[in-house]
Amino acid sequence: MTLADTLPASRRTRRSLPVPLLLFLASAVLYVGAALYTGQLNQLGASGLVGLAQRMVGLGIVALGQTFVILAGSIDLSVANLISVSAVLASFVMQGDPAMIAPAVLLVLVVSAAVGFVNGGVVAKLGVNPLIATLGVGLILQGLLSASFNNFAGSVPEAFQGLAYGTIGIIPWSVLALLALAIIGALLLRSTRFGAHLYATGGNMDGARLAGIRTDRITILAHVICSLMAGLTGLYLASRLRSGAPWVGRDGVYDLESIAVVVIGGTLLSGGRGGVWGTLAGVLLFATLDAVFNMLGVPAFPKQVMRGAIVILAVAAYAIRNKGPVA
Amino acid sequence: MSIDAIALEMRDITKSFPGVRALEAVSFDCAHGEVHAICGENGAGKSTLIKVLGGIYQPDAGSILIEGKPAAFSHPVEARRAGISIIHQELSLLPHRTVAENIYLGLEPTRGGRLDRKAMMEGARRLLGRLGSPISADARAGDLAIAEQQTVEIAKALALDARILVMDEPTAALDDTNAKRLLDLVARLRSEGVAIVYVSHRMPEIAAIADRVTIMKDGRKVETAPIGAMPTDRIVRLMVGRELSDYYPARPDTPPGDVLLEIAGGGNAELADIDLSVRAGEIVGIAGLEGSGKAALARAIFGDQPFTRGTVRFLGAPIDLRHPRAGIEAGIGFLSDDRKREGCLLQQSLRDNLLLVRRAFASPVRGSRAGTLADGEADTMMRRLDVRAAHFGQAIGALSGGNQQKVILGRWLARDPRLLVFCEPTRGIDVAAKAAIYQLMRDVAARGRGVVMVSSDLPEVIGVSDRILVMHQGRIAGECSPEVGEEGVMALAVGHRPAPLDVAREGALA
Repeated sequence: MTLADTLPASRRTRRSLPVPLLLFLASAVLYVGAALYTGQLNQLGASGLVGLAQRMVGLGIVALGQTFVILAGSIDLSVANLISVSAVLASFVMQGDPAMIAPAVLLVLVVSAAVGFVNGGVVAKLGVNPLIATLGVGLILQGLLSASFNNFAGSVPEAFQGLAYGTIGIIPWSVLALLALAIIGALLLRSTRFGAHLYATGGNMDGARLAGIRTDRITILAHVICSLMAGLTGLYLASRLRSGAPWVGRDGVYDLESIAVVVIGGTLLSGGRGGVWGTLAGVLLFATLDAVFNMLGVPAFPKQVMRGAIVILAVAAYAIRNKGPVA
Repeated sequence: MSIDAIALEMRDITKSFPGVRALEAVSFDCAHGEVHAICGENGAGKSTLIKVLGGIYQPDAGSILIEGKPAAFSHPVEARRAGISIIHQELSLLPHRTVAENIYLGLEPTRGGRLDRKAMMEGARRLLGRLGSPISADARAGDLAIAEQQTVEIAKALALDARILVMDEPTAALDDTNAKRLLDLVARLRSEGVAIVYVSHRMPEIAAIADRVTIMKDGRKVETAPIGAMPTDRIVRLMVGRELSDYYPARPDTPPGDVLLEIAGGGNAELADIDLSVRAGEIVGIAGLEGSGKAALARAIFGDQPFTRGTVRFLGAPIDLRHPRAGIEAGIGFLSDDRKREGCLLQQSLRDNLLLVRRAFASPVRGSRAGTLADGEADTMMRRLDVRAAHFGQAIGALSGGNQQKVILGRWLARDPRLLVFCEPTRGIDVAAKAAIYQLMRDVAARGRGVVMVSSDLPEVIGVSDRILVMHQGRIAGECSPEVGEEGVMALAVGHRPAPLDVAREGALA
């Protein structure tokens, strides 16, 4: 007789809306409300919405990567530092020369993948707690970077700025790229063996290993994906700022904010449950908040307070939702 | 029994959860100095009843009387204050704190606002002494064996001066010797006048310790009777509605087939001089006390904690397995004894859990919901295994132990390895699911697969195995046939008879 165990649980899941949709609706209400309240109706037009989408790109890409490591039961605190490294590396190698775009991009991706490999290796093979492992790697990256550069280094050529500023019709390339990456991420999680293994590894590492899954490789691969995403974010920032500086990642608080939006999106911090769309919806909520505060003309600090409150509220809401009638 | 001797009475307790009535007008009482056992399949409502008693759930209807006075608990703390202490199946000790700190958790004695460590140590020593336990009060809880931790849990309950002690499957994780010791402890508490509510799946224990038995089924009380009127077969029949004789599947008449697995001189840090062979179509039981190396042997066969000495031949060819994946690739499956920690992906669906091993070896892309990563196959398997759930997409964590175990088993059946190693396959699951799992094991063997079953449950080892290897101190102490009975196996397990050959011969004669 399992009815007693099972029925309440299934009812719970049936009566609640999917998290991404919920967050999307919340963002929409906030945004439209603020626009109407302040009378800035132009924000509801195409250009306003495109601007909103554009705000999502930087944090969105790195958060997609963070989703993978968190699903695997790990975490990555080195992304902000890696973003700085990538941005500086890209603009330093390019030095305004269009011919150097391809080598620079390639170099950034190789370096990022290598950093991910190191992160994953230290976590999976040496068994170092991921918080500490990636914090250490991040400090090393930042140290190396600060030792070599102390201001904007080099510049990116006009052609490369197209990444951040170019559009198809009115939709920026970068927004489309974020969407494409999210779709690829979702497909990876949903429809590939790797995705299934990732959920299993994050859900129960011992169980997955005893079932024959090479959990070490999965963890490393998740870290490589995360770092590649951080590298892409660095490239995007270099393109947007027209040059790279050793503080761009840290100033964006990409490490903590990427973790925050992943968690807001419903992914369990302990791993094994969640997904890309929730993360994207979390990013949308943060971008909406930015836009709303801009419309209201409120300074940046209350915005920070709001963000903090939202992270706490979201996690509390999940905790309460998961506490059903059957303990 | 006079009225004032009744410590606890629950009258017509009804509790519903959305869509399901978990308890329906259940009445239950327990006197001082009485052990009252509650039996029932998982999901029969035992846990709900206990949680109502412990103040974790509030009943929809009915009343609770403690020492004849009505009581209502809206929080577990209130139940504790009323003298009710519940020892849950999962132990709740803090592994890094000392025994004394654990015993006085939440009740720390203070003097002048400061923690009175001395009083704590003395109190802990006194309580442990009362339980006749040699455990040191300043040992770390995490360093203790499971059985000792259980004793600490009981001491913790006594620190509260519990007059009503509820034990939920206290022996589930214990081997027979420790289980026996625990029963002695229960008897001692009973003689001190504690009212003990005892939930267990182990029939011999209930026969040994209970004064009265209450059978529950589907949220209702079926019957309460003194143990004298409740022989084991009657209890089982009331619980599942069938005879005990159907419990263990019949052994086949056909002799076993070719040798699948052959180990010569196998050893590692925990094992030495392991010689064993497993043939196709047979179930080899591995018995032994806790720490005898029986679990280590299972893991060594599978490649999780590999042999470092000796030779292993599988399907006629030498193999050297270094990790689980290699074991699975070679054709060996392994059912862990720790379902929660090493079996289930608790957050994930039944389907995801069932397909885990298949997916570990699937081709990289799932594609259009077809192939080995797909759900359809999983559903078929779960129907075949009679997994009972609201739907197969729900999280496995919500299921009863028996149903979880069926899903984990299905994970291996989907891979269909040539040799399956089961570790404690029926630990903490109900009688009906046990019978189903025994039958499944027999079916697997009948299809020409080899089965190794490691178990601490002696009746199970004897009832299911074709032959039995008994471990003692990391070695195989001997081999015997199931006919030697529990005493014969136990004698080997405690290292009583040194010459295995004699025992094998004796077993054949018996």
